[in-house]
Amino acid sequence: MTEPITPELQKFYDIFDGVDQSKVSEFKDFLETNAVNFNLFKEGSFIERSFPFDMIPRIIPKKEFDHLEAGIIQRVRALNSFLNDIYTDQKIVADGIVPKEYIDSATGYLSSFQGVIPLKGIRTHISGIDLVKDTVSGEWVILEDNLRVPSGVSYPLTIRRAFRHTYPEFFEQMNVSKISQYGTQLKDAMDYVSTGGLNVILTPGRYNSAFYEHSYLAKVTGATLVNGDDLIIENEVVYLKSYNGERLRVGAIYRRLDDDFLDTEEFDEESLIGVPHLMSAYRAGNVAVMNSIGNGVADDKGIYYFVPEMIRYYLKEEPILSNAPTYLPYYEKDREYVLANIDKLVIKDVAEAGGYGVLFGNRLTPEQREEIIAKIIENPRRFIAQEVIEFYDLPCMLNGGIEPRKADLRAYVIYGEEITVSMGGLTRYAMEEGNYLVNSSQGGGFKDTWVVEL
Amino acid sequence: MIDTAITVNMAHRLYWKGRYLQRAQTMLKELLIGYDNVIDRDHDYGRYHYAKLDIEIDYGNAYDFLYQGVYGNHGSSIVSMIMMARENAIEGRNLLDERGFARLNLIHNCIVSARGKEVTPTMIEDFIDDLSFILGIFSSELGRTKAYNFVRLGQYIERFDLILRLYGGFDYVNAELDAMNTLAKRLNPDYQLNKIFTSDLSKALATINGIINKVIEEKACIFKIVEKES
Repeated sequence: MTEPITPELQKFYDIFDGVDQSKVSEFKDFLETNAVNFNLFKEGSFIERSFPFDMIPRIIPKKEFDHLEAGIIQRVRALNSFLNDIYTDQKIVADGIVPKEYIDSATGYLSSFQGVIPLKGIRTHISGIDLVKDTVSGEWVILEDNLRVPSGVSYPLTIRRAFRHTYPEFFEQMNVSKISQYGTQLKDAMDYVSTGGLNVILTPGRYNSAFYEHSYLAKVTGATLVNGDDLIIENEVVYLKSYNGERLRVGAIYRRLDDDFLDTEEFDEESLIGVPHLMSAYRAGNVAVMNSIGNGVADDKGIYYFVPEMIRYYLKEEPILSNAPTYLPYYEKDREYVLANIDKLVIKDVAEAGGYGVLFGNRLTPEQREEIIAKIIENPRRFIAQEVIEFYDLPCMLNGGIEPRKADLRAYVIYGEEITVSMGGLTRYAMEEGNYLVNSSQGGGFKDTWVVEL
Repeated sequence: MIDTAITVNMAHRLYWKGRYLQRAQTMLKELLIGYDNVIDRDHDYGRYHYAKLDIEIDYGNAYDFLYQGVYGNHGSSIVSMIMMARENAIEGRNLLDERGFARLNLIHNCIVSARGKEVTPTMIEDFIDDLSFILGIFSSELGRTKAYNFVRLGQYIERFDLILRLYGGFDYVNAELDAMNTLAKRLNPDYQLNKIFTSDLSKALATINGIINKVIEEKACIFKIVEKES
């Protein structure tokens, strides 16, 4: 079902009727010419690929976005509190809100960082919160919290500029919220937690799928883009190896690689992209690492179930935004329900991400069904089950016409001196009609997201 | 004007971007000169000319000579120069002018997709114009950032290298060396000025190509620690 046309979207269509529509092709040219890529690895091969773009934006009325913004900020505050609690006193476990087993068995939980308190108590410096709009309730529903290395923010930022160049009419006639301040906000957040010295963005390198974004963020924040071997640790202090022989102190690292690859002395000893002994500097409080180490415990799909309770527990508030109805096979009652109703549920493997490990019960063969049931019984902690959310399609310009495609929204949140939500976000749509997987790594495309006040 | 810190890796990327672009532009111009020679003056001109770069090429006619220059299976083919320039530019694009990067990427896409098709002098001239745009675009900036200077340094070194190899222009290189030395000293105050006091080609090339190692001090990293407040 396609989202009903709001007055804001109607205004977009009205303006579009009056502009030179042949210029739509300029967006594709722009993305290709500027190598605005979201690269893919398929069958062991690296494929440079422009991120498919659809020019009809997702338009969210300002009032509706205000509600979203409040809910997202509330959620990020609670998740940050949860992480601080889990890596110190674990009161939420002691009080019986979250089972200890769920913490201990979360792959993102790093017990060796118990007691390590990050600078200014901030752990979720940059978050990406995934939402969809439910066709039944008409409400936004949270699908996922990404608190490790959420990617994607550079694409709407980049295309917005191209949009303003190609079709200024929309921005002259519609009151679209600006998003260009994201770079400044990110820089401010880095400065806020910095221990003094350079801000750097640590990239796995040119063959990472989101390398374009790493480079883009370095440009807009003025941070230095570095690979692991550009940094060196001495006496628990991080230095950048400058070309002229100087070592320059580093105060904040926005790392764009997962915990596992960050430090060969602490994690995967075969990582070629990390910085040996970086964790010694982090533990000593000599460098801010954004996002903090061990955040994976909070965006574990199993922990997601508990976020509404976290909000009540830490903030003493009712959640503004809802989770998708979720069942934990870990609990006997939920497990019985899941096994009895598997045909109408979505089963997710908590260890997977990027749209992998997601099974729609109604599409399983009898053999696959038996297989997944056996796995759930054997290791219930590994799975969650969710009711299928019938979320809205959005209109997309495809195949010479306008066609509906499932689409979600990733909202970007920066936690610095204050918490800010970018007034837009990345709308991702599925390439095929009826497909619910919109992830970029599954071949999906993107739209800009406009927050509009008429 | 922000002049961000430059890492050892980034300095090399920018320097090599400048070198590859300069080599591509120079070799495109050399292809046009060679094209005229191959048509009606000396059919083997191209072979001799490329031999100065230790490259063997074979061609049947003038158009084929252009094709071999652009797509031939050798280290100085235009397509490989452009690919290498682009690779270095991708890694350093946060410090480069966006329009310059986009133009380079466009040239790359054009040249890669045209493989197998005829190469004409007009195409070569268009590529030269595009590369001139890219190399010139930095010069239009108000600031002379370190990134700009590394690209320029790469251009200087490549020009000198090709002048020496192709034309043995020792006097020309010595006459222009001061400008390059000034640039290198601006990047690294510890850099010592150089003159080429030799007419031995291999020694001169070693001196020219060794300059970057006096600007980028990888080994010196263990001696200096400078703390800078952001």
